[in-house]
Amino acid sequence: MQTATNLAPDAPDLKSNRLTLRYVLQHAGIGLALLILVIFFSIASEHFLTAGNITNILTQITINLILAVGMTFVILIGGIDLSVGSVLAFAGVVAGKVITLSGFSDGTLITMAVLAGLGTGVICGLMNGLISAWWGLPSFIITLGMLNIARGAALHVADARTIYSFPFSFEEFGSIMIFGVPILFLLALALVAVAWVVLNFTVFGRMVYGIGNNEEAVRLAGHNVMFYKVGAFAICGACAGLAALAYMARLNISSPIAGIAFELDAIAAVIIGGTSLAGGRGSVLGTLMGAFIIGVLANGLILMGLNDFMRQMITGLVIIVAVIVDYYRARFSTT
Amino acid sequence: MNAHTPMTAPLLTVRGLKKHFGGVKALDGVDLQIRPGEVHALVGENGAGKSTLIKVLTGLHFPTDGEITFQGAGFVPGQPQWSKEAGIQVVHQEFNLLEHLSIAENISIEALPKTRWGFLDKAEMRARAVQALDLVGLGGISTQRPISSLGIAHKQLVEIARALQTDSNLLILDEPTATLTEREKDNLFQIVAQAKARGVSVLFVSHHLDEVFAHCDRVTVFRNGRTVTTEDIAKTSPEAVVAHMVGRHVDHTARETRAHDLGAVVLSTQNLISSANTTGHGVSVEVRAGEILGIAGLVGAGRTEFLRAIFAADTPAGGTVQMDGAAVSFHGPRDAIDAGIGFVTEDRKLEGLILEMSIAANTSMVNLKSLFPKGWMAARTEADQAATYGRKFGLKYGKTGDAAASLSGGNQQKVVLSKWLANSPRVLLLDEPTRGVDVGAKFEIYKILRELAAEGVAMIIVSSELPELMALSDQIAVMSNHQIAGTLERDSFAEEAILKFAYGQAQ
Repeated sequence: MQTATNLAPDAPDLKSNRLTLRYVLQHAGIGLALLILVIFFSIASEHFLTAGNITNILTQITINLILAVGMTFVILIGGIDLSVGSVLAFAGVVAGKVITLSGFSDGTLITMAVLAGLGTGVICGLMNGLISAWWGLPSFIITLGMLNIARGAALHVADARTIYSFPFSFEEFGSIMIFGVPILFLLALALVAVAWVVLNFTVFGRMVYGIGNNEEAVRLAGHNVMFYKVGAFAICGACAGLAALAYMARLNISSPIAGIAFELDAIAAVIIGGTSLAGGRGSVLGTLMGAFIIGVLANGLILMGLNDFMRQMITGLVIIVAVIVDYYRARFSTT
Repeated sequence: MNAHTPMTAPLLTVRGLKKHFGGVKALDGVDLQIRPGEVHALVGENGAGKSTLIKVLTGLHFPTDGEITFQGAGFVPGQPQWSKEAGIQVVHQEFNLLEHLSIAENISIEALPKTRWGFLDKAEMRARAVQALDLVGLGGISTQRPISSLGIAHKQLVEIARALQTDSNLLILDEPTATLTEREKDNLFQIVAQAKARGVSVLFVSHHLDEVFAHCDRVTVFRNGRTVTTEDIAKTSPEAVVAHMVGRHVDHTARETRAHDLGAVVLSTQNLISSANTTGHGVSVEVRAGEILGIAGLVGAGRTEFLRAIFAADTPAGGTVQMDGAAVSFHGPRDAIDAGIGFVTEDRKLEGLILEMSIAANTSMVNLKSLFPKGWMAARTEADQAATYGRKFGLKYGKTGDAAASLSGGNQQKVVLSKWLANSPRVLLLDEPTRGVDVGAKFEIYKILRELAAEGVAMIIVSSELPELMALSDQIAVMSNHQIAGTLERDSFAEEAILKFAYGQAQ
């Protein structure tokens, strides 16, 4: 049959050397960049690769990592959540109010505070998702509104004051180390693992990728697109609530002005990690790498004696480079 | 006035023009000659290459091969700007107006007038607009009105005014009358006559042969990306033109006699009015188990919208759908799917597949939840399902984990079919099921559809390829302007008869 030979004229293209380059970009790129950074800073500063400093880095990236995991879901469906920093503050002061109530045992207070913090985050996320999905409005604007609402609510609830003197067992928990690794970081790592399983092995995860790639095809295949979109925002809100609890456990305060501009670092971690801002492509393991790159850069540059302003400039540069790399990645996967 | 002297050097000569998109030959050797001051019609079936030619001439597509001579000199289009400078103006089928800017701004948008100081010269802009609007009989309208405040016919006229204001040599009108009322059409043809009197050549692309025969000097017929013939209007007839459009070739899509009996009516529509249908009259059809109902018609006849209305992809404006004789009310694709309907959409890339995702993921896209009721996916189960359909349909692929984008058009379409069949539908709606599919895969798809019919699946197939419809269908309904213009039984299938209904000439 003459027809059998020309059935797939463009298939070999994908299999030739382009695939290798694409493969490198997609899988090794971020890890490789992180490795180079670590080697560079190890040479540049004798303090970098010490146990104490590594603990430092892990502590510093924990909150951003938790926020970035939730952000990964939202960016994968093709949205964005600018409100996570403010929601962190709001969930924090709500949990802080609850945990400082009198007349309950420490265990009860901690349980109630965890539920209150998570609940506040989920409610904010649900509102973001429901409003943007129901009216088909850009989540950029809706979450920008929520950024202000949650910040105002946090200041209002806390009466613009910092809340402190939490139960002793709660404060103690936040400083537990296991072989030099902060327990809060381990919990964040567990969150990454859970998110990875959800995204790769559940129907929910498949829909998240599907909607980000081609929402109309998913809708015409009979799936409830709105449910999954709202779900992604609710997960992002829940992560903001979790981040608030981690913040409280680490610093032993909850502050209505906590988390300002945290959304930017979270988005940066997701993008540096190779998740496409257009949605549908990326992974939460990349996000883990992205959070590490931001944390290692910040730590290493300061150890090298650069001031915080320089650090900020270089982090910004890395974000731009990551997006340019993503541009080429997208081109390789469509040609 | 030398428009009628054939001796004059032609304004535009196109010779052997080709435009290939990958393996798709949109233009495969097109010849066209336009004389100064003539109104030249270009006709052909959907997909014959008319729009592609316009896009090449206006610099939107770079030609693959061939030569173009314009005003006696070689012309290489490549940028819209070059075509405009050469004096080729086009009024596209879809509007290219900036909705929130004024009429005046839209008319001058290609070359905004500036004052000495570099500011916008609003007075000049208004003057130009008034002059241009006069040309199309819109003299009375305020040039400051935003485009968004105009009705669709007025938008069309503004678009034409914009094309006419610069003294062009060649004015291309792509389906200009689709949105106009009778009076507005008369007005348009007056404009065309005036342009012709000024020595402007007009290339008039139309589906409406009555307009072509009333207002044009010559007609060129395209078929499958090639020029079939160019004729003087005075020396030909609508019947002859239709025959050229269809071609005399007997397609190898041999009609097989149906071996199975038809069952009871599975799906029927009663005066179903799609959301895009503003005529107030709907479509009523019925299809039996094992039957294939073909729907023919021109682009814009409302065929896709009708299928989408059945499937509740868009909410219908009126009418009902019945399954097994009982009225059903679908609130979205999910309901239609649960009732046993599948919908192979026209645009594989935008609506059918998720190209970046694997063949396995695409195959399980419809039955994902019934395949994994607990929400946990098993990669193996999914891969097995894809492999099963891959074997059944002779899919040419590497691994089930490869991206759907790695497949050829025909094999992509097999994946689309697989994903619907995985849900065991009783009714399958198919919109242009073999578009962009090469010949070999086309026949394989025909075979699959015939087998499905033998298994008792009811099908409604929309296709612009008449040989395909005639080969597959038990009955063909021809749509025109959102209505059924006529219905043909298998023993009376003929392309001429179908086209007559489609062009609305049967009334």
